[in-house]
Formats: sequence, C-alpha cells, structure tokens
Amino acid sequence: MNSNTAAHPSVEILGLYAAGDLPFLLRLRTAKHVRECAGCERQVLSFRSSRAELRREAEGQILTGFEAIADWHALERDMLGNIRVGVAASRCIERVGRHRKLTSRIAWAAGMTALFVGGWFTRIPAEDNQRIVSALRRAVGLEQPQFYGTVVRSTPGGIAVGAQGATLTMFHPESAVISMSGPSSVTARYVDDDSGQVTITNVYGQ
Amino acid sequence: MANKPLLIIGAILLALLPVAGAAEEDGGKWLAVEFPRDSPVISVGFDFGPTTVSRRGSSMMLDMHAALVLRNVGSKPICGLTLRVEAQDLTPYGKGSVIKPSLFVLPGEEFPVKVDMQLVRPVSAARSESAMVQVTVDCALFSDLKAYGPDKLNSRRSLLVYELQARRDRQYLARLLDSGHLPELREELNFGIQDFIPRQLGLELLRGPRSAMPEQALALSPVAFPRAPIQPLSGAAQVAGNEVRAPRVEVRNTSKMRVASVAMGWIVRDDRGTDFVAGALTSRSPIGPVQTSSITEPGTLRFSRPTGQPMVIDRLMTYVNDVEFADGTLWIPSRADIDAATQDPTLRRELATSPEEQRLATIYRRDGTAGLKKELKRVNLVN
Repeated sequence: MNSNTAAHPSVEILGLYAAGDLPFLLRLRTAKHVRECAGCERQVLSFRSSRAELRREAEGQILTGFEAIADWHALERDMLGNIRVGVAASRCIERVGRHRKLTSRIAWAAGMTALFVGGWFTRIPAEDNQRIVSALRRAVGLEQPQFYGTVVRSTPGGIAVGAQGATLTMFHPESAVISMSGPSSVTARYVDDDSGQVTITNVYGQ
Repeated sequence: MANKPLLIIGAILLALLPVAGAAEEDGGKWLAVEFPRDSPVISVGFDFGPTTVSRRGSSMMLDMHAALVLRNVGSKPICGLTLRVEAQDLTPYGKGSVIKPSLFVLPGEEFPVKVDMQLVRPVSAARSESAMVQVTVDCALFSDLKAYGPDKLNSRRSLLVYELQARRDRQYLARLLDSGHLPELREELNFGIQDFIPRQLGLELLRGPRSAMPEQALALSPVAFPRAPIQPLSGAAQVAGNEVRAPRVEVRNTSKMRVASVAMGWIVRDDRGTDFVAGALTSRSPIGPVQTSSITEPGTLRFSRPTGQPMVIDRLMTYVNDVEFADGTLWIPSRADIDAATQDPTLRRELATSPEEQRLATIYRRDGTAGLKKELKRVNLVN
C-alpha cells in the first residue's frame, strides 16, 4: 500500500489543479504530490486530455442554438460538471481564506500584546510594578507581608518620600549637596543659577 | 466566537494602556499658595512654568515647576524663610519644604522662590475639595533672630543655625578682605580648583535593615571642638555593607547651662579614604549641666554614591554641629573651634562649609574680590 494514500488530493482539487485554478500554496503542494504519485498524475493527465478534447470539439463545431438544445444530454452533463467544479472551487477558496483570517488575527493579537507589554514597561512607574509584583507574590505565598515604614531617599535629581501609594519628590540640580537633616529627613543644598541664592529643599518622612 | 478573546484584549488595552494626559490648564486646582494675614511675606507673582499633569498607568503624575515672587511686607529685614509643601495624599506621613537661608531682604523688597516637585498618586485615591499641593510659610527669621510662623517643621532652629553660620563666615571672609589676606581668601573659597563642588552622596533613611550582609560593630571616632558645651565621649554603630544601623553616641554637657537639644554631625569615610559630611541628627532629650547622656538613632541609614552604587563604609566620625540651650540660645562651632579640632585640611573644610560660604564662593568666582566686597557691604559687614 502506498504510504501517500492518506494524503491524496480529492478529485475536485486535481480537477482544479489540471485547469490551473488552484491558489498558489495549494497548487505547489498538489504539484509536488502529483509528481510523486503516479495515480494522481494519471488522473490529472486524464482531466487535461478531456479538457483539450472539449476545447477542440468546441472549436471544430459551430453550434446553432437549436442544435445545442437538440443535444440536451450533452449540455446537461457539461452544466452539472461545471457546477460541481464551481462548488468545489468555492469550498477550497473558503478553506484557504479561513486559514488566512486566523493567521492575521493571531498576528494582530500578538502585535497588540507586544504593544501593551512595551507600553507597560516604558510608561508605568517602577513603584506600581513593584507593588503589583509584590501583591502577586503575596497572593501565591511566595512573599511574606513586610512593613518598611516611610522611606526617604535621594536620587541625583531629587529627594522622594513615599506613603499610602503616593510619592512626593522635591527636585534639585545634580550639583546639589545631599545630607540628612534629622532622623527622617533628607536635604539638598544648592546655589540657584538665576537668583544666586542658596536654596535648600527638605523632604520629611514619618 | 474567534472575536471574543480579541475584544477582551482590546478592552484591557483600552483600560490599562498608558495614555499621556494633556497639560492641565487650570493649575490652581492642583496648587494653593496661602499665607496667613499677618505673614511678613506675601506672594506678588506666580508662574506655573512647564507644569504638567499626566496619567501613567494606574497613577496620576503632577510635575510642577512653579516660581513665586515674594515681598517682605514686614518692618524688619528677613534673613531666612521656610515654605512648607504638603500633599494631601501623603499627609501626615510625608511632606517637603523649600528653605531660603542667608537672605537679606529689606522691607518692601521682593525675592524669588522656586518650587520644583513631582507628586505621583493613585488615580483611584480619594480627593478632597482642597488643592492637591499646598504651599505655606512655616517660619520666617528676621535679622534680630526673632521668628514668625507655626514652625511645624522645626524650621526656626534650622534657620537660626544657618544664620549664625552665615554671620560667622561673613565675618571671617570680611576679616580676610580687610587685612589683605587675599591668598588665604582664595584658598578658602577654592577659586579655580576643580573639585570645588562639595562631595556628593546618595542617602536613604529606612525604618529597618534591608541588607542581608552580616553586621559588624564599628566604633565612632569623635571630632571634638575644645570649647563646645557638649563633648562626644564614645559611640558605636552596627554596619552592614553600606548600611549604618542604630548609631549611638555618649555625650557630656560640660557647660553650666541646661541643654534642650543637640545636633550631632556625621562624617562617613568610604573604603577609598574619602570623607563625606552625611548631615546631622538632632536629639531633643534635655541634658543637665555636667550630665552624661546617650544619643541614639533607631533607624537605618543607607549610603551610596550619586550613581547609585553602594558606598562601603570604612569609618564613622561624629562631631557636635550645634547645641540649643534651654533659654533658646544656640551654640555653633567658631572658625577657631574648627581649626583646633583637626589638622586635616580636607576635614576642616568639610566642617566649615556652610550654605552662606557656598553662596559667597559663587559670587567670588563670578565677580572676584570686588563682587565679594560689594556683597559683604550689602549686609553691612564691610565699610
């Protein structure tokens, strides 16, 4: 038994292939099969010879309307054959279209997800991310609830205090001198370029 | 059916995708500048500058760069001012302030104050009718060293220390100018030296330890000013990497006066041998004459370089930054005290650096001796 039997194209596919009416990808797959399968190749050749014969007959005969109607059986056979081929062709195209739609939807969803992830990491503050990650970790038991209290910290551009999900940052130039001014306050001192006055910003936690 | 997951994804995207909001046109909704009726300063000009309100994910961000023009409407020159900055979302746990020390604003004169700040708050947080950020006067210090204001941030003490340091440094520089000691003046103000800008560090104040590194006890080295009313005796702290935990210092009141509070200054030496003045911690425990007391700080201090890299702590030094007596008067180390305390010129410079010296150095570097003389004359120290 031929191992390719299960993958034989249907008669309709072979018919469309013989006429050159298949979509590109399906045509390539069918052509490959036909080259390797003698039975299908015979079927295709048979379709092609029938088609050529019909074409020759059509060209050799000048049928009047009356004569055509007189050959009623031949006309009926041709019409039914054409309908079958048309129906099969539309089913093939529908199947190919469904694959294309599915592929494009998956691509759209992947693109939107990438946009969402990119937007999240570039626009959502790090504090929010940490809070969400901590909440998720606590929810699954990977992290124990901890209490750090209010934290005051300095960065090159400002001093920040966070509490109750909010953060207040007092900005200063990078040249500012940072020091602590109490057990829960941090200070930045600099000379303001515009006024020439010393400015000290202080942030207090509790 | 295939559209259902896509609709769900779309709905989530619409709900959560960060959308930059437009700048708020009515800035007054976010900020209120309010001075009491009897305040010696009033706001006569107000500019929001490039202030923006935007939405970032589940948070709202107010980025404010306001410039105020204040006028001295009192009868005395103002030497220092503290504006309290409060955000309703952080009250009472956190607040900020903008301090203007070393001022000499005569009655009727105007001066600028900038408020550069950012507030990030959850969009879902409840909001009251009042403005999101409120700016008001906390304390104003006059030239006679009397103060005005509610002083909720203990600003009077800080302004007084800054003013005493300013007077000390003005007198010292004026003496150098008057006596023609220009090389000493140049050396003092570091004219032309690359590392003029004071050394910078990053600081974090924590309630508890974060580092998992093992702790080790580090003895504190006291830097004593011979004539200080409070003398540091000994001390220690637990150090783990770049964290200093529970620093404690024993002090003795060598004066005959009752001390109301002591601010101990801290100097941190890193593993490269560089000293950094980390600031001062104030103890408000009264100390009677000739009594010994222990000053402790239960929190954790974490040090880093400005780039964020942890700073390995090699040595801790402490000194008396200022002492407040029970009668409200203050002691700060004189120039002679600082000179007598250490032979190390770098450490001496760190101890002597004050906001006023920083300001005068900027004038000297920009306008030279003539500019410095003019500025000192303005504050009536050079004739």
